[in-house]
Amino acid sequence: MTDVAVTTMSDAQAREAEQLLLLEADLLDERRFEEWIELFTPDGYYWVPLHPEQDSYLTHLSIFFDDRELMEARVKRLRHPMIHTQTPPSRTCHYVSGVRVTGTDEAGRIAVSSRILMLEYREGEQRVFGGRARHGLRRVDGKLKIASKRVDLVNCDDVFGPMAIPI
Amino acid sequence: MRPIDFENLDSVVQAGRVHANLYRDPDIFELEMERIFGGTWVYVAHESQIPDGGDFITTHVGRKPVIVVRDQDSANVHVLYNRCGHRGAVVCNLSSGNARRFRCGYHGWVFDSAGRLVSVPLKEGYYDGVDLGDPRYGLVNLPRVASYRGFIFACARQDVEDLETHLGPVKNSIDDLVARSPVGSIRVTGGVHKYLFKGNWKLQIENVIDGYHPSFSHVSTLDERGRQFRRRGEEKEGPAIGRAGSDDPNEAIAQMDVSSYAQGHSISGALPERGDKSGPAYQEYLNLMRQSYGQERAEEILGKDWHNTLVYPNLCLQMLAQHVRVIKPVAVDRTEVWVYPITLDGVPEQLNHDVIKYLNITHSAASLIQTDDLEQFKRIQVGLGGDGAEWVSFERGLSRDPVPSEDQAAHAIGSSELPMRAQWQAWRTLMTGEQRA
Repeated sequence: MTDVAVTTMSDAQAREAEQLLLLEADLLDERRFEEWIELFTPDGYYWVPLHPEQDSYLTHLSIFFDDRELMEARVKRLRHPMIHTQTPPSRTCHYVSGVRVTGTDEAGRIAVSSRILMLEYREGEQRVFGGRARHGLRRVDGKLKIASKRVDLVNCDDVFGPMAIPI
Repeated sequence: MRPIDFENLDSVVQAGRVHANLYRDPDIFELEMERIFGGTWVYVAHESQIPDGGDFITTHVGRKPVIVVRDQDSANVHVLYNRCGHRGAVVCNLSSGNARRFRCGYHGWVFDSAGRLVSVPLKEGYYDGVDLGDPRYGLVNLPRVASYRGFIFACARQDVEDLETHLGPVKNSIDDLVARSPVGSIRVTGGVHKYLFKGNWKLQIENVIDGYHPSFSHVSTLDERGRQFRRRGEEKEGPAIGRAGSDDPNEAIAQMDVSSYAQGHSISGALPERGDKSGPAYQEYLNLMRQSYGQERAEEILGKDWHNTLVYPNLCLQMLAQHVRVIKPVAVDRTEVWVYPITLDGVPEQLNHDVIKYLNITHSAASLIQTDDLEQFKRIQVGLGGDGAEWVSFERGLSRDPVPSEDQAAHAIGSSELPMRAQWQAWRTLMTGEQRA
């Protein structure tokens, strides 16, 4: 996939991809986590590596690596009435910018690059998580879905306080 | 805050309770750094992190930055204070690597992998000459360094018992871990989860061996039957913990046991109902184990299924989510914890991949389990800052549990607070410089 392919992409397709990323940000900020999972394909995954040039989620630890099963376990916990680490809950604001379609392939997959910031506030502490996001999108039954989402935080190998909300 | 009488610790460390100041007084913390982290064997690294001559990692002994490096000539491991003998800058600010020499970035003093000063720029400016061999200019070696089956410990004091005596019966836990590999080899590789909490370091070492908290602190990870999520891709379901707040003595968590020793170490028994051992990858692993060890010995090895082993004061080994956890005190109310996956050599790849995958959801900063406890540590630190009750209670099991000695374990039910009492026993010994009973 090269940037040249972008010229063959319709503006409508690029706009559709951007709308999907903005919708994702809304769903996370509004704590509509079940709907967030539904944005992913059944074999989709959400990945936040722990190392700047990490090429595997199987041989190296990650801050998040959730396939569908783990996404569901995470959201089930976020809904639990006694989740201590979200009592009181975090408030977040996800910012998405610089959305750019970087390629498409014959199977109709679309590679999207963006910059993400998540502002999080909980119990007197405000934190910022930010970095580069890469979404792999795929059309399922006519709808654009997330087959993969990778977020490379600028401070991915930092020491972190507890996190609960996907970035 | 009432000042502590260091000459009379009986007033603050009692049979089943300790004074809240021991978690919040910065003077106590300073003394702990000197007498506990500077007074006994502290875990620093695993040999698999530095396999070749010149390989190094940087870490801390207590709060002091150190370089753990394999000597290029002798292949011995040195633990060097990461402090230039000239003005005191850290000479190595990388987390790991391989180096022929360490050169201070400020004025260019150069040290070898044994810490010896080998060159000084513009030497003639020292009119009386500079003695490169003078140990006060070198990187200072911690006087005691020893390794038990790959686990490297260092001690800032010369006059301590040897490492194996210090480890005592918890050596067996290291043996058990190594034996899980059919070729008898494990590696600490695959990155490190690093998290911090706003609480005292002792809260984490109490927690890893606390069989009373899981079904309550981790209630948000349990289903209606008190079961958690899977820990291997092939498992049908995860381990049973128990129903939150239940008083039923048959709950899974109530059936664990625990063993503690006077050195402060403890071993908690396995959860009674862990995930099932089904699946082709696990079957292949069983076959490899039987081929290597024979049927009987393989079963014995796999039967040694303890949950956590705490090696006082800063190391925890876990069998279920196979990892090495290192506790790093930063300040009286701030602690870092570093969690490294353990890779078993000679096993089907999938088993090691599962360790990585599930360690993310149990012990990353964004994990589903560890974050529950971090929240509790923060709440304890805040709560202990209040007035009213001055004591912290460790009375579960007190009236019946035996008192541990160095080589004789004291056994108790898993929800007993025996392990914390053993930790306070060790704490007292180290803080007062008394001999252990």
